[in-house]
Amino acid sequence: MSTESVELKQENNWKRYFTWNTDHKVIGVQYLVTAFAFFLIGGALAMLIRTELLQPGIDFMDGTIYNRVITNHGSIMIFLWIIPVLAGFANYMLPLMIGARDMAFPNLNALSFWLIPVGGLFVLLSFFIGAAETGWTAYVPLSIQAPDGQTIWAIGVILLGFSSIFGAINFVTTTFTMRTEGMGFLELPLFVWSMLATSLLILVATPVLTAGLILIAMDRVFGTIFFTVQAGGDPILWQNVFWFYSHPAVYIMILPGMGIISEVLPVFSRKPIFGYIAIALSSMAISVLGLTVWAHHMFTSGMSPALRVPFMITSMIIAVPTGIKIFSWLGTIWGGKLRFTPSMLFSLGFISMFLIGGITGVFQASVPFDLYVHDTYFIVGHLHFVLFGGSVFSVFSGFYYWFPKVTGREMNERLGKIQFALMFIGANLTYLPMFASGMLGMPRRVVDYAPELASLNLLTTIGAYILGTSVIVFFHNAATSWLRGPKATSNPWRALTLEWMTTSPPPIHNFEELPVVTSGPYEYGETPGASDTRQTLEVTGD
Amino acid sequence: MEKAMETMKAEGSHHEDHFRAGKALGLDHRKLGMWLFLSSEVMFFGGLLSTFLFYKVNNPSPSEVALLDVVLVGVNTFILLTSSFTVVLGLTAIQRNNVQGVMRFLGITMLLGAVFLAGQGYEFVKLYYEGMTLSSSVFASAFFTLTGFHGLHVFIGLIWAGLTIFKAYQGQYSAEEYGGVEIFGLYWHFVDIVWIVLFTLIYLV
Amino acid sequence: MKPRNIILLLILAVILITIGVLVATTIDVSAILPIQASESAIYIDQLFRTMLGIAVVIFLIVEGGLIYAVFRFRRKRGETGDGAPIHGNTLLEVIWTLIPAIIVIVISIYSYQILTEIERPGVKPLVIEVIGKQFAWEFRYPDEEVTTTSLHLPIDREINLQITSEDVIHSFWVPEFRIKRDATPGQISELILRPTEAGTYRILCAELCGPGHAAMVTEVVIESKEEFDDWIEKQSNLAELPSSSPEGRRALFITQACGSCHTLDDANAVGIVGPSLNEIGAIAETRVPGLDAQNYITQSILQPNAYIVEGYTSNLMPNNYGERLTAEELQALVEYLLEQK
Repeated sequence: MSTESVELKQENNWKRYFTWNTDHKVIGVQYLVTAFAFFLIGGALAMLIRTELLQPGIDFMDGTIYNRVITNHGSIMIFLWIIPVLAGFANYMLPLMIGARDMAFPNLNALSFWLIPVGGLFVLLSFFIGAAETGWTAYVPLSIQAPDGQTIWAIGVILLGFSSIFGAINFVTTTFTMRTEGMGFLELPLFVWSMLATSLLILVATPVLTAGLILIAMDRVFGTIFFTVQAGGDPILWQNVFWFYSHPAVYIMILPGMGIISEVLPVFSRKPIFGYIAIALSSMAISVLGLTVWAHHMFTSGMSPALRVPFMITSMIIAVPTGIKIFSWLGTIWGGKLRFTPSMLFSLGFISMFLIGGITGVFQASVPFDLYVHDTYFIVGHLHFVLFGGSVFSVFSGFYYWFPKVTGREMNERLGKIQFALMFIGANLTYLPMFASGMLGMPRRVVDYAPELASLNLLTTIGAYILGTSVIVFFHNAATSWLRGPKATSNPWRALTLEWMTTSPPPIHNFEELPVVTSGPYEYGETPGASDTRQTLEVTGD
Repeated sequence: MEKAMETMKAEGSHHEDHFRAGKALGLDHRKLGMWLFLSSEVMFFGGLLSTFLFYKVNNPSPSEVALLDVVLVGVNTFILLTSSFTVVLGLTAIQRNNVQGVMRFLGITMLLGAVFLAGQGYEFVKLYYEGMTLSSSVFASAFFTLTGFHGLHVFIGLIWAGLTIFKAYQGQYSAEEYGGVEIFGLYWHFVDIVWIVLFTLIYLV
Repeated sequence: MKPRNIILLLILAVILITIGVLVATTIDVSAILPIQASESAIYIDQLFRTMLGIAVVIFLIVEGGLIYAVFRFRRKRGETGDGAPIHGNTLLEVIWTLIPAIIVIVISIYSYQILTEIERPGVKPLVIEVIGKQFAWEFRYPDEEVTTTSLHLPIDREINLQITSEDVIHSFWVPEFRIKRDATPGQISELILRPTEAGTYRILCAELCGPGHAAMVTEVVIESKEEFDDWIEKQSNLAELPSSSPEGRRALFITQACGSCHTLDDANAVGIVGPSLNEIGAIAETRVPGLDAQNYITQSILQPNAYIVEGYTSNLMPNNYGERLTAEELQALVEYLLEQK
């Protein structure tokens, strides 16, 4: 049997996605599909929350069920949607982008994926066994007293942590040891740089959360008294251990997304990235600085008053490398020839929304202001601007960008623009009022609120329904395009990074012959007015 | 415009060196992977250790500290250190193509590791009967959790040592190909170094 | 750069800075801020407006630039060429690194000053203990040995709240004061404030503490020194009133802290964890067929889970009133409640 026909058989066989497969492209798709499934579940929980909060008063969820819903909404969106979906993109694209045939440790890679549905099962199961109901932050002593589901939830999160750590080991080793000839570190695509910065954080911070969750599990199951106050246990210890991971976690959730933006903008501006080294280094800076800011989540905890100040300073300073990226992205599109594909629209939307998220983050870094807005809807608004307007928008940008490469088909551009419009309007309508409701007196994690806050909550809920609609549009587009979309060429966007120098989808060994790199990844405009004649020239109209 | 990529005809894809870039940097990918894994393990023990130190300082339990047997555990520490030495001897052996040697030395390592675990088990039981349990104090909770998870890592190391011996027995290692032994050695030395830190901060300080 | 462009940039800069200053100093933010009832509120609102002014300018620059670029640099139909091969501009990159750095350092220093101002310990503050528990707040005035379910404060006096919790972490928050502090079991966290505006405001719990988190609401009353002294004296006399008298029965309701979870206008109780008792005298007999009002109320006190009102959660009301109340006290309470129609 010839190699080609074996490959064809393999490529057309959907069953391999349900097996232990070591091909990074299969694993990437497994990650992506699983993560999107959890996005739907987490999103459904969000719709439940916003429906309950449509009007003041208890409508259909009492305090207990509501607490379970918000806990799982947060846990699923963080551990089962954003972190894995970005890992999924990295898994698929990183080896291609550096001209490698796979990841350094293919079996470890498969393990990393399979830990996701297993961990996810634990998290979902906890819902039905007297669930985790303490918020994803699981503050003690409340989480020690919570019902059995809390332990199951903790085990699930520990398993998901292992998945993340093993993935990081793979990303770093692959990047260091498997770059093709000519690809030095200064020729790395910025998405790869962002994965390096992300992996550093995963390796340093995630194990600390593991340790903390073990402390909680030991207290709940084995009778230790780490957090028994009467015996000298300290609830603040948990907060420190938890946030030491969970603050870097937010950078784990945004850095790969920023990497995607850096890939998409040059392609659809037909211009090199502005400030390549600054962007690469700013990713590393955010990573390192990100390990020094965690106590800004604890300003109201009664922590040592003097210690709040250095954390305020580090939290403020981290705005600088972040700002460098935003300005560099502006510099990239400035003077370009902008083409507004859905991918590009989501990247531009990312910049706009992340700008608001980032600015409000600086507000929160200020201790006295945080004493006011901590644990209110101001924070909820901020976090959704950066996580939805930021991370989720970057996921959709990457999805529309890389869909042809992964599936060999094209997404429907018109539906994509409709999705973008609905999502952009929906997100702003949902999250902007939250700054006001927070400042007017709405705490976080409340099933009910004061009547004066009714109109703001109404706006938010309407926005949420629009968001939900946009997600339906997306899934319709993705499903029909995957099944029946027009065939895509190897390089429909005329991009210059290595993943586009092979077929769509790539063969099992990625490249017929490994490419040799002789310049950087964003060398557009070398001859003004012309473009590369070597690449597949299929100029799709718009 | 001449573009970035030319392609290079490989001499048959199955002879290609996937890890060429790593070799240029002097990095064996398996060792790099292990070092990265160990760095995450450092942070894991760091989390447990910080908890222990926090409670040791803020909630000292002098009566329980007095129960700790520095001599017993000191001897045990020496045994664990010796087991690291035997790993080095084993690695040297296979680097000289001495398969019997690596099997023997790793076997001694397993034995010493098992003795360490037995000693730790004995210590735990003794403390339990003297009133120091998982729930007797926050100090005790932290003590048992920290040393217990270290013991778990030793146990995993024992299994790994056994697997390595088995692979040596199957002829998978030689003077040219001993990476697997090196990787195991890295893990075992790490577990040892963690213990030195733990022993110092728990028993000596 | 051309002189004309430099002048245009300068004019733009002046316009933006003017906008920023206007926002920081004159914009009316009362739509999104509660009234200022403490000194710290004044400082924090000032900080907010300053940061808002800076934020608006930055937003206008970046978003304005983006929107401008979207229109100015859109690709023309059918155009397939590339833009200019610009990789960076060192001067520009230095500027947009330094200026944000300076801005955040300035904000940090200003914030530090505000922080020092609002947390300056008073000379002889009124010390009050605040205890959070699932799902009510308790306030103890140590000098008068009075414990209450709502917080009364004399205006313009320096207050030092010693905040802790009996069970899980709660957080004491009055939006009109702006500042909040967590109530953590096993430790006492201090909150310094100076009330400046008379009135009644809500105290909210701002840390998820269980099913009753959203219902953990009570009130703080800021009043004149005379009114405050009056009130304190009344509270300390409550325990001495005989439970057979009408005032005594109401006093019992208050000292047993029923108001931390129930609303009862007659006793100035504003709790919302459990159902309102304003009409309980009339409703009681209709609740369970065959059960008269007296028995319904008695049983509801002794066995709270027996008849849960729709929309409210079980297992929140303490179930040990049988031990906490003497028989006379229980009877007095029931009689008091029967009168509420």
